[in-house]
Amino acid sequence: MMYLLDILLISLTAALINNFVLYYFVGICPFVGVSRKVEMAFGMGCAVTFVISIAALISWSITTMVLIPGAPLSSFIAGFFLPEQAAAKIDLTVLSYIVYIFAIASSVQFVEMYVRKYFPMLYGSFGVFLPLITTNCAILFACLTIMSHVTGVDNPADAWDLGRAIALAFFGGVGFTIAIVIMSGIREELELCDVPEPFQGAAITLVIGGILAIAFMGFTGVDSGIRAALMPSVTEQVSTMIPPRPDVLAILDLSSQVRQP
Amino acid sequence: MADSPTAFERFVQGILPENPVYRQLLGLCPTLAVTNGMKPALTMACSVGFVLLCANIVISLIRNLLKPHLRIVIFTLTIATFVTIADRFLAAYFFQMSKTLGPYIPLIIVNCIIICRCEVCASKQGVVTAASDAIGQAIGFGLALSSIAAVREILGTGMLFGIRVLPTAWPDWVIMVLPPGAFITLGLLLGFVNWIGIIRSKGSAK
Amino acid sequence: MRSFKDSNLFQAWLVLLLATAFGCALAGVQTKLGPVIEANKTRETLAKIPALVLGEDQAQQLSRQKKSLSITSRTIKIEKNGIKKFYTVYDAFLEGTLAGHVAKASGQGYADKIELLLGLDADARTITGLFILDQKETPGLGNRIIEKPWRNQFLGKPSATRLVVVKGNPGKDNEIDAISGATISSRSVTGIVNKTITDIKAQLVSPPKETADEQETSHNENGKIKENT
Repeated sequence: MMYLLDILLISLTAALINNFVLYYFVGICPFVGVSRKVEMAFGMGCAVTFVISIAALISWSITTMVLIPGAPLSSFIAGFFLPEQAAAKIDLTVLSYIVYIFAIASSVQFVEMYVRKYFPMLYGSFGVFLPLITTNCAILFACLTIMSHVTGVDNPADAWDLGRAIALAFFGGVGFTIAIVIMSGIREELELCDVPEPFQGAAITLVIGGILAIAFMGFTGVDSGIRAALMPSVTEQVSTMIPPRPDVLAILDLSSQVRQP
Repeated sequence: MADSPTAFERFVQGILPENPVYRQLLGLCPTLAVTNGMKPALTMACSVGFVLLCANIVISLIRNLLKPHLRIVIFTLTIATFVTIADRFLAAYFFQMSKTLGPYIPLIIVNCIIICRCEVCASKQGVVTAASDAIGQAIGFGLALSSIAAVREILGTGMLFGIRVLPTAWPDWVIMVLPPGAFITLGLLLGFVNWIGIIRSKGSAK
Repeated sequence: MRSFKDSNLFQAWLVLLLATAFGCALAGVQTKLGPVIEANKTRETLAKIPALVLGEDQAQQLSRQKKSLSITSRTIKIEKNGIKKFYTVYDAFLEGTLAGHVAKASGQGYADKIELLLGLDADARTITGLFILDQKETPGLGNRIIEKPWRNQFLGKPSATRLVVVKGNPGKDNEIDAISGATISSRSVTGIVNKTITDIKAQLVSPPKETADEQETSHNENGKIKENT
C-alpha cells in the first residue's frame, strides 16, 4: 500500500510537478526544435518515453549489479583476485556516466530497429530525429536521478528499487510528451499570428515555454498534499493538515500586501 | 580546403558571430538551468570549456584514424571521460558549487555544443585549429551564460556575485530565479540579439 | 583497396585502446580524488556538530582552546506500522562526558526534500541546534529557512511538547514563528523536528543493547576516523 502510494507520488512528481522540460530544463532542444506539428511532437514524445524506460531499466540494473560498492557482480568477479573484504568495497561509480551514455545509445539503437521494422511510415517521417534522441538530456537526466537515489542515500534500505526507477523514467517521459504536445498545439496556432520578426522561431517558443512553466508551477505542493491526505497516521510530518487555498493565499498575501486573509 | 577558416578566425567566430547559444541554439539545457546566479554560470562555462578543449585536442590528435561508423562512439567515450574528470574535480575542490550544479555537470556529455564541434571541426582540422575553436566557442558560451545570469540574478535577487547592486527597496522578482524566468529571459534576449542582427544586415544592405 | 586503417579489426582495437587509456585516467582520478570527496561529505556534517550541540559561542571557545569533541555515530532503527525508518545519530563527547546528540533527519518540504541536522542535549530534553543541510524551497521565500535568526528560534525549546507554527507573535514555549510568505516550508521543518524527536527520543537516551543494526564508528570532528579504544 505504501509502495503503491510511493509510486503514485513519484509518477505524479515526475510528470507534472517537477516536469522534466518545464522545471528541470532537460529536453529543451527537441522541445524548441521539433514542436511544430502535433503529430510529430506526439511521436517524438512517445519515442522518448520508450527510450527513457529502456535506458532506465538498463542503467538501474548495471548500477545495482555492477557499479556500487558491494554490488553482486563486481564483488563476485573481484573475489577471484582480491580478499573478501576488499572485493566488497570495489567502487566503480566513477564509470557511471560512461556506462549510462552507452546504455542510452544502445536503447536508441534498439528502438530504431524496432520502429523501422514495425512502423516504417513513422520511421520515414522521423528521419534524422531518432538517432538524435541519444543527445536528449532528458534520458541521461532520468538515469542520473535514479543513480542519485541509489548511490546517494545514507542508508542502503532507502535505495530505490526497480519499480520506482521505471516509474520515474516512464512518467518523466510522459511529462515530456505532455509539455511538447501542448507547445506544438500552441505553435500551430502561432503560425496564424503576426509574430515580430526577431522573435520568430526559437525566441517566441522560449517565451511561451516560460508562460507554460508558470502554469505548471501551480502543481507545486500537490504531492505533499496527497501524502498528507492519504497517510494521516504516518505523516506526522506537518503539525497541522494543510488546507490548500488559505496557504496559497498566505504566500500571495505577504508579497502583494493587498489581500486580507 | 583552401576556404576553411584559420585558427584565429575560428577563435573569433566562436565568440559572437557563431555564438553557440544565441546563433546556433545549442546547449540550451545548461543555459537555462544554471543561470540563476553568476557563480554557477561561470563554473558551468569553465567546465564546458575544459571538456570542449580536451575533447577537441584528443579527437584532433586521432582524427586520421577515425572512420564514419565508430566515430560517434569515440566522441562519446572521450567526452564522457573528460566530463567525469571535471565532475570529480568539482566535487573534490568546490563541493558546495558541485552540489548546486547537481546533475547538470554530467549533462555536459549530451551537450550538443561539444559533439557538434568535434564533428564539424576537431575531426577534420589540426590540433591548433581545434584548440582555438574550442576556446572561442567556450568564451562565446561563457558570454551567453553570463548575460542571462546577470539579468536573472540582478532582477531576481538584487545581487550580482552575492554583492548587493540594487537598493534594498527593490522587490525581488523571484520569478526570475525560478524556471519560468529562465525561459522568458532567454527568449527575450534571443529576440534582442536577432533584432540587432536584422538591423545590422539591413544597414549593410543599404 | 582498403588499407589496414579501414578494417574493422583496427577500429575495434582503436576503441579498446582508447577505452583502456580512459579507464586508467579515470581510475587515477578516482584514487586521487575519491578520498577528498568522501572527506568533503563527512566534513559537511561533522563540522557542524560542535555548534549544534554546544552552541556557537562555546564551540568557538573550544576551538580556540584547541579542545575537540569526540564523535561517534550510530544508526537508530524505528519500526512503525510495519515501516522501517533509519536515523543516523551522532553522539558528541567532550572530555569523556556525553555533551549531546545530533540526528540527521529528512522530510518533505514545499518543493522537495528537506534534510536537516537536529541537535539535542545529553538527555534529549532540549533542542540545542538546528541546521538545514539540503533544501530546494522557493528562493527568497521558503529558502529563508536556512537563515540563522529563524533557526535560532528552535534553540532552547523543550522536546517534551510538540512544536507548533504560528503566524505572528510566538507566545508559548512551544510556538515557532512562521516565515512570512513561507508557511508551508516553516511547517515542514517544524514537522520534521517533531517527528524526529518522537521517533528517536527513547532510543537516544537508553539505546537498546541487542540490536545488530547499530554500527559504531568513531570520528573526531575533522572527519578522521579514530580507533575505537
